[in-house]
Amino acid sequence: MNVSTLTTVFAQGPVEAPAIDFAAVAPILIVFGGACLGVLVEAFFPRHTRWTWQVVLALLSIGTAGLAFGLYLREFTNPTTTLADRLAVDRPALFLWGTLIALALAAVLLIADRTIEPGGSFVAQAAVRAGSVQDHALNIAPGGTGPAGMRTEIFPLTLFALGGMMVFTAANDLLTMFIALEVLSLPLYLMCGLARRRRLLSQEAAVKYFLLGAFASAFFLYGLALLYGYAGSVKLTDIATATTAGDRSDTLLFVGLGLLVVGLMFKASVGPFHAWTPDVYQGAPTPVTAFMAACTKVAAFGAIVRVFHVAFQASSWEWRGVLWAIAIASMAIGAVLGLTQTDIKRMIAYSSIAHAGFLLVGALALTEEGRSATLFYLLAYGFTTLAVFGIISLVRDADGEATHLSQWAGLAKRSPVTAWVFTFLLLALAGIPLTSGFIGKFVVFTAAVQDGMAPLVVIALLMSAVAAFFYLRVVVLMFFSDPAPDGPTVTVPGVFTTVAITLGVLVTLLLGVYPAVALDWVGPGLAFAP
Amino acid sequence: MLFLIAVHLALAAVVPLLVRRLGPRGLLGVALVPAITFGWALTQVPGLERGAIHQETLTWSAGLDLRFDFRLDALALLMLLLVSGVGAAVLAYSAYYLGGDAGRVGALLLVFAGAMAGLVTADHLVTLYVFWELTTVCSFLLIGEQGIKEQSRRAAIQAALVTMLGGLLMLLGFVLLGEAAGTYRLSEILAAPPHGGTVPAAAALILLGAFTKSAQLPFHPWLPAAMVAPTPVSAYLHAAAMVKAGVYLIARLTPGLADVPFWRPVALTVGLLTLIVAAWRALRETDLKKLLAYGTVSELGLLTALFGAATHTAALAGAVMLLAHGLFKATLFLVTGIVDHQAGSRDLRELSGVGQRLPALSAVAVLAAASMAGLPPFLGYLGKEATYEAFWHGDTPDHLVLVALAVGFVLTVAYSARFLWGAFAHKPGVAATKVTLPATGFVLPAGVLGVAGLLFGLWPHASNVLATPYADHYPSPVERYHLALWQGLTPTLVLSALVIVLGLVVYAGLDRITAVRQRLPALPDAERAFERTVRGVNQIAVGATRYTQAGSLPLYLTTILLVVLVGPGTMLLFGTTLASPAPPDLVAVQLPLAVLVLGAALGVLRARNRLSAVLMVGVVGYGVAGLFVVHGAPDLALTQFLVETLTLVVVVLVLRRMPVRFTPLERSWRLRWPRWIAALGVGLFVGTFAVTATAARTVPAVSREYADRSEEAGARNVVNAILVDFRALDTLGEISVLAVTAVGVASLVLVTRLSAIKPRRVRQHAAHNRRTEEDRR
Repeated sequence: MNVSTLTTVFAQGPVEAPAIDFAAVAPILIVFGGACLGVLVEAFFPRHTRWTWQVVLALLSIGTAGLAFGLYLREFTNPTTTLADRLAVDRPALFLWGTLIALALAAVLLIADRTIEPGGSFVAQAAVRAGSVQDHALNIAPGGTGPAGMRTEIFPLTLFALGGMMVFTAANDLLTMFIALEVLSLPLYLMCGLARRRRLLSQEAAVKYFLLGAFASAFFLYGLALLYGYAGSVKLTDIATATTAGDRSDTLLFVGLGLLVVGLMFKASVGPFHAWTPDVYQGAPTPVTAFMAACTKVAAFGAIVRVFHVAFQASSWEWRGVLWAIAIASMAIGAVLGLTQTDIKRMIAYSSIAHAGFLLVGALALTEEGRSATLFYLLAYGFTTLAVFGIISLVRDADGEATHLSQWAGLAKRSPVTAWVFTFLLLALAGIPLTSGFIGKFVVFTAAVQDGMAPLVVIALLMSAVAAFFYLRVVVLMFFSDPAPDGPTVTVPGVFTTVAITLGVLVTLLLGVYPAVALDWVGPGLAFAP
Repeated sequence: MLFLIAVHLALAAVVPLLVRRLGPRGLLGVALVPAITFGWALTQVPGLERGAIHQETLTWSAGLDLRFDFRLDALALLMLLLVSGVGAAVLAYSAYYLGGDAGRVGALLLVFAGAMAGLVTADHLVTLYVFWELTTVCSFLLIGEQGIKEQSRRAAIQAALVTMLGGLLMLLGFVLLGEAAGTYRLSEILAAPPHGGTVPAAAALILLGAFTKSAQLPFHPWLPAAMVAPTPVSAYLHAAAMVKAGVYLIARLTPGLADVPFWRPVALTVGLLTLIVAAWRALRETDLKKLLAYGTVSELGLLTALFGAATHTAALAGAVMLLAHGLFKATLFLVTGIVDHQAGSRDLRELSGVGQRLPALSAVAVLAAASMAGLPPFLGYLGKEATYEAFWHGDTPDHLVLVALAVGFVLTVAYSARFLWGAFAHKPGVAATKVTLPATGFVLPAGVLGVAGLLFGLWPHASNVLATPYADHYPSPVERYHLALWQGLTPTLVLSALVIVLGLVVYAGLDRITAVRQRLPALPDAERAFERTVRGVNQIAVGATRYTQAGSLPLYLTTILLVVLVGPGTMLLFGTTLASPAPPDLVAVQLPLAVLVLGAALGVLRARNRLSAVLMVGVVGYGVAGLFVVHGAPDLALTQFLVETLTLVVVVLVLRRMPVRFTPLERSWRLRWPRWIAALGVGLFVGTFAVTATAARTVPAVSREYADRSEEAGARNVVNAILVDFRALDTLGEISVLAVTAVGVASLVLVTRLSAIKPRRVRQHAAHNRRTEEDRR
């Protein structure tokens, strides 16, 4: 708050309500509104009807939000801000909103599925101690009706997280960004701990995620405070103006930026702030992991791109070196540590760390090409990874999901379709042509080369090759090994999961074969709001 | 062109169904697809003579300037004829060779044929890369076979890994080259090659890509290892087509990039080294396929050297050798496959008298091996003559090259003879192998390819038509070299004869050479180097996982804190001059308070009992509150006291449900000192920073404004003014939040009370569980 605003406050003049562009923020309002309604459903509807209500409500909210988004998109012309400059409404934000809405729709379908795991993948009564009598009773059919239904709070929680993510990517100042960060994180912490199977693992994951996440948020907040001290404002554009003036304390700027980056990188699971990722990805219920891996990554990198490109472009030559190191660390950690993983969910977690490194390479290209490349990569990666976790949730044995890699041996002989689809997705993660992964890598690396980061791109390509090794290992395992005699079976998914996986696979293929659909949209004119 | 490639890819999806319906013989029909491509390519040959070049384009993504561009110039046409012709032959052959796996292998072979056709006709760097990777994927899936054997799994991964790494580096080279040239179209880049800047780097990366794909030293081990694949796959991918992609790339780009200083020397050195070393290795292999594989590596080295030499005659020789090698090597692989299929072995120590039983097959093999050894009147002879000619007229470096070539050819003659002897000869002391007769259709494709090598040799005009337009990229020497069987009594003819004789001598003395070699120190083994690299990376990964991903929360936190120390911490230390803060107002009572806070903080670390730890944390809080009082902020202190007390009460309530003592700590000093360092470092960082940050202020503090304006708000107490006037809405919000939290806490307490569990029932149930588990055991 600077002196002039103080004067207005002290003068006790009439407070003007900020103008709100309701058409623009309608998607966010609808999502949050749906979330609030979801809370009311929990409060007032009998337990056995809640699942239906919640699913309908969640899908309806996201669908309506998508509709409102589409309607606004047709009228959208110039980048602008709304809600007293708190939210930026520009092409990057809109692209990310669209991506988030589409991904969340698929994720909600995965979450709502009750065919793969009878009763749903979520615990029926989260407060019951794992392994206790009650816990046991929840999974035994009372009177032959099957296990108790799942906790349906997961739906409003998902909507809250989604709303937070949408605000996060469009936040025009750091304080809004911080609040959005909390709004998206807190539901996620909770959602991680709600797995029906392996509850201790799930709860441990939630606690770890929460504790480390709290630290990261604290760093973010501390950095925010320092940057406010530096620029006298939390608005990204004001910070940018302050950095160009250059007559202020660089200590505040760089330490502030450093701490801010810690918070942001943690959310994006960029190494070396990645330590939580494998544990949480493994412990969380798989649909939540899918939601987290796809949407959180989109939101976090959306915010990273905005912060770097809007606020810190002018000072980039002083901090880019450090970010190079982080990108290299992330790619190396993800690719090399991924090699020895024996659990498929952990393996994909390391893959996501490596991908975070690749994304960072794109985000560091402070050009319009870099921006559009990163956004495209996010879209492509989001759908691929969502479908990957969708498939992982299908391969099961008596104890739930069979995530140990050895259990995947010879899967192609049991279920060729699943194996081929999974192979396709893995090839997309590896960046093989005719998948979206290739186009994503290509645009990101081209943008980085154009911005003079060829050495970084060399490392990125080397790491891509290393990472390809563990994807191929899974392919080899599925196709070229004999199935174990008591191996897992592939559950035939219900409509929800089938739709979600199909969506992910189709987008991966479409963006690989005909990337123009998305590239034209993120193409030239990707300006941020003033 | 585009249509034909699309047909390949689309029909591949149908192949498994077709094979299921018709059996493996259905592949005969599938072979029509590359055969039609071959026919279409033939119709383009007359146009080539007129200088008309067929082109096609399909926009892929306008925004990215990504297009599928195809251009059928001489080199592309030559390669297209080769890959489609050999492809048709191999698919027809597969109809007899393959068994239960025919559907999958046939489909992949067809996809591969399409990808290869796309690769050689692509006129856009990215298009080329797309097909390049597609061939890698096909190769990976084909080598893996059924994957029952550990060996095939390893080979598949090795091949994919090496070529994919090369491919990715090559992609970067393409991007650098395309950016330097301002276009990704090959024909445009070659018409106006870029210079300087990033071009040398691009050239180096592209060479790496080509070397990995074409199995040049030291990347070659994947190719012999890939011989575990079914023979049609080896014949097509790993002899005639895919491995040529790297050589093709060198051939394609040399006219534009030969000006890069290191391009020629590197291509020549690596090529010639590969030629000799691999031929030497071929002499000691006992598996016929491996022998041929090393032969392939060796020939690819020759092609790399010829295309990289960037002269008219060398390019001509390269183009002819490319065609010749495709024909004879595919033939020999197919023949080996038939021997393996009919005799049940391809170990040359076990086979005996096969030639007597299969005279037609051995005749085909002789045709091909003669071409390989460079005997007249075969196509191989034309190529070798042109090769000698290309380097005969030069200066010393060229003559060195010539010597190396001659050595390589001597070894080639020797291993050609060894192959023929190994596969077909009657060996004394070895029982004659039992052989069943192959079907005519099985031998036919090999026969066609073998005879083609002879026909091309007898009719040099055909090779001239196909190869000369490519060579014309380079300035022609004064005496233009034409391919012909009889060039007159030239020195190269003498050299040719000498090489053949020497080759036969080497073959005859092979036993003695082997004895000598066994006494020599072993050469560094690239295969072992690859294995060691893979194992090393794995060990690093295992080690790093064990130490950094142990699942321990303190460890994770330490990592993050250390990074904070290294990043912002060093920035704080070195990046800026520390502004000296204003000296604080010291009051005597501060000292005991500070000691109390520090002591309590240390005490927390030593506490074994949960309650005492909590109490000591409380002491820290009260101590800080005391400091507030000393500094004249009683209201703040009051808040702090209240919060501390409340927290203490809440925590103690929670503690009732927890064990009295902490779980025993890991006492190992080795594990604990990093945490101490991290903790102390972060403490120092935050402390230093708090001091620096207050000194770094450049804008007037907002607190002064508050104090000045509190009169205006009609308040005596500035805190009151802030709470109810300046920030009244904040206060309202805070109160609401507190109210909501209180409701939430209260309802949680009520819920737990309602569902409280009687402990006795838990124990009973646990006992029941234990019993059932024991029963299960």
